Amino acid sequence: MKWSWPWSRRIWERRMDAEFQFHLESQAQDYVGQGMSREEAEQRARREFGGLELAKEECRDGQPLESLGQVLRDIRYAFRSLSRSPGFAAVAVVTLALGIGANTAIFSVLKRMVLDPPPYRQPERLVFVWLNNLTLKHFTLVSYGDFRDWQRAAHPFERIAALRFQDRNLTAPGTAEHLKGREISSGFFETLGVRLLLGREFTAEEDQEGGPPAAILSDAVWRDRFGGSGAAIGKPVTLDGVDYTVVGVLPAGFHFWSDSDVYTPAGRGDPLTLRDRSVHSFLCVARLRADVTLGQAQAEMSTIQQHIDEVYAAAERGQGIGMLRLQEQLAGDVRPTLLLLMAAVGLVLLIACANVANLLLARSAARGRELAIRAALGATRARIVRQLITESVLLAVAGGAAGLLIAFSSTRLVMAAMPANLLPTPSAGLSLPALFFAFGVSGLAGILFGLAPALRSSKIDLGASLKEGGRGSSAGQHRAQSTLVILQMALTLVLLAGAGLLFRTIRQLWELSPGFDARHVITFKVGLSPSATHTASGVRTAFRQLVERVRQIPGVEAADFTTLVPLSPADNAGPFWITAEPPRSLAEAPRALYQEVGPDYLRAMGIPLLEGRFFSKEDTAGAAPVVVVDSALARAYFPEKNPIGETIHIAHWGPGRIVGVIGHVSHYGLANPNPYTQNEIYISFDQILDEWVPAFYPALTLVVRTPLDMASMLPAIKAAVDQGGSDQPVYDVETLEEFVSGAMASRRFPLMLLVAFAGLALVLASVGIYGVISYSMAQRVREIGIRMALGARPGEIVRMALGEGVRLSGAGAGIGLAAALVIAPALSSFSNLLFGVRPIDPLTFGTVALVMVGAALLACYLPARRAARLDPLAVLRHE
Amino acid sequence: MSRMSRQPESSDTEILQGTLDMLILKVAALEPIHGYAIVQRLRQISGEALRIRQGSLYPALYRLENRGWLKAEWKTTEGGREAKFYSVTKAGRKQLDAERAGWKRLCEAISLVLETGE
Repeated sequence: MKWSWPWSRRIWERRMDAEFQFHLESQAQDYVGQGMSREEAEQRARREFGGLELAKEECRDGQPLESLGQVLRDIRYAFRSLSRSPGFAAVAVVTLALGIGANTAIFSVLKRMVLDPPPYRQPERLVFVWLNNLTLKHFTLVSYGDFRDWQRAAHPFERIAALRFQDRNLTAPGTAEHLKGREISSGFFETLGVRLLLGREFTAEEDQEGGPPAAILSDAVWRDRFGGSGAAIGKPVTLDGVDYTVVGVLPAGFHFWSDSDVYTPAGRGDPLTLRDRSVHSFLCVARLRADVTLGQAQAEMSTIQQHIDEVYAAAERGQGIGMLRLQEQLAGDVRPTLLLLMAAVGLVLLIACANVANLLLARSAARGRELAIRAALGATRARIVRQLITESVLLAVAGGAAGLLIAFSSTRLVMAAMPANLLPTPSAGLSLPALFFAFGVSGLAGILFGLAPALRSSKIDLGASLKEGGRGSSAGQHRAQSTLVILQMALTLVLLAGAGLLFRTIRQLWELSPGFDARHVITFKVGLSPSATHTASGVRTAFRQLVERVRQIPGVEAADFTTLVPLSPADNAGPFWITAEPPRSLAEAPRALYQEVGPDYLRAMGIPLLEGRFFSKEDTAGAAPVVVVDSALARAYFPEKNPIGETIHIAHWGPGRIVGVIGHVSHYGLANPNPYTQNEIYISFDQILDEWVPAFYPALTLVVRTPLDMASMLPAIKAAVDQGGSDQPVYDVETLEEFVSGAMASRRFPLMLLVAFAGLALVLASVGIYGVISYSMAQRVREIGIRMALGARPGEIVRMALGEGVRLSGAGAGIGLAAALVIAPALSSFSNLLFGVRPIDPLTFGTVALVMVGAALLACYLPARRAARLDPLAVLRHE
Repeated sequence: MSRMSRQPESSDTEILQGTLDMLILKVAALEPIHGYAIVQRLRQISGEALRIRQGSLYPALYRLENRGWLKAEWKTTEGGREAKFYSVTKAGRKQLDAERAGWKRLCEAISLVLETGE
């Protein structure tokens, strides 16, 4: 076997030439011998030989392993041919790049967030175990008591572990910093199947009340505080004033539910939280036994929970078990949105492909003459077809490569635009399958689009094509192009309609009042100095003094604190009742959202006082317990009478007298149709029980109303905090408007992308219709020339072209509208994204149809004007 | 073939492709020979009756070489020029024998049909 690489091929070619040359010369020599002149002899020899190039070509085609050289030659030729029409090549490559790039980016994100299993050992066996509150029809976190009972009794699980969110203030080693802390049961990492980078997990001895304080650090904190040294194990870190011994370090990139910095044992957490079965604060994750299905586990756990029900009826009655696979739970929120976007971006790719197909069709028509000449010169049909396919594959690969660049940069953009609460994993690079996906799509597109014109060209009638001057006019071609454009227009309209509906949704949301005045409010948290947190009164005093100092800052109109900022992702719902007798079970009691606040909170937030009064400085621990409720609770529970003066019972606190009613405030999103509670109850922070202060104060957030901007306020705020101790970190600094816009993020994110895709589609479709009209005008040059010679005015020619544009875009809009009428309601119920606008919205649909037809006409106007400016004499003479 | 049909028909007998291969092998089996000489030799032996299209000779030669039935060597001709000489390989001889036998059978069959018909 002989290998034919390009260099040896050159030698091979030279030898073939020499052989042919020898033949011709020998023949000519013989003729000279017969008495011909040399010139005549050479001519005759050549004529008798026949097509020299054709013979060479056939010799080449017969060469085995010659394909590489041939492919290279084809590619070289394709390059030359494409560089002769750079405009066409650029538009085709950019079109494909945009389509492929957008698809790869979205696919990468989709894959990482929905399709990839979570990065734990055998993740398909991992499940979240929730309590299912049957009254509220709501999955809730789990009490520590339940978790321990499950751990002891649960046979369907190989292991079960629990995690509680408990932020920490780290003061040593290094400067004071707020850390995202987690309290975990021993065996937590074993349950997930994650190996620690250094050290070990917590032991059962550490995971109990009064156990030795131990901590596990994230990779980031370990590097930051210990310089990534192995000697960190056994060293102390100071968290909230207590020294914890570092026993382990997590591997870089470890992520569970959300980012976290430091872990401490759950068993040595706040005993009040751990002992009370009606305090639900633990997230439970379990590993199913290999031989147990989700359904079996669910059934067994329900039986176990029924037993617990009977023993602790007051806290537990009315609760079932809710179980979800890890992946399902983590991807649940994003899945519909990402699938929707995937569908949208798929449409963009279709439109891009239609565009390229259109371009190639038009080009192959324009090249009819070139191809005919090549065929006449002896190129075999197979060779021409191969050449055309090479060209389009080259375009597709170039488009794919450029698309990859776009995908690289836009994946990061998509992730950055992604609302944090939709992010189950922190990062998504381009994945290898996404890369294959892109090249697969581009390759397929290339072959498909290369094939259409190639097949067409194989039907070329040489004589006809040459005679016609290479325009290869064909009604079939025009029909194919028109169909593609109508398809593009229809798809574009569907995208535009989707973007329009979401746009209207966001507008509706902006007009929706959240119940407070979000403008000019800054919120932040402070990690109190450990010296201030030994006693409840110490905490209260520290916060009161802090608020006083903040109020002194020039420009501050009002300031106070709350345990819950509206529209923040935090939750603080709890049971209450208005009857004298407590309910049979706390689980069956109605829920309200609790906020423990200071007296100036109402003014700082700009919430209207509807009746009675808000808290005053006199509502302290010693005074009669009072509460303020919102209008939603007042309406639901005191529909007939004034709630002022009525008594309301609050779990873990006791009875309180209602002294005021204030406006309802949105918390669970701006337009959440079914949050499990709308009731809101406010309690003065000074009146919460001393024993609960340690559990509540880390959540305290200062709310500062000031017309000044964040940048000028922040130094003054820091100074005010530092006066109470320089070891107090300021963190989570945000404006209230950021919370409001964050509440729209889950809708704004797909809106942004949909608008981008729809815009892209509109541009591509406009390019498509521009191409078709240009082509059709070029085909009709002769007709237009005659018309104008016969007295048609330029305006009539423009009207003729625009008429065709209207027909095409109108047909596209019609089909698109029909499709949108079917798709929109289905999508709306599937993704739950729309609000305040019905899925079939005549205003939106009408507007987008007009926009699209308008854009199409604009695109048609250019070739129309060009046609109208033709000089009829020149046209006819040219013919 | 259909492409050629538009060109004026040559009065020479067009040779079937398989037949051309067989003839080339036969001629090259006598002694190493270059392409031009093959054309001349075929014409001489057949008494000018067989005239092969020169353009189709070389693709056939290359094909036979690639199949391993011919081997080629660059040698100096009597006239002192470099030329590519083809000779038949062992496999080529076997092929020639097989084709000759097949050809014989075909001819006998055809003449049988022709004679019976009369």
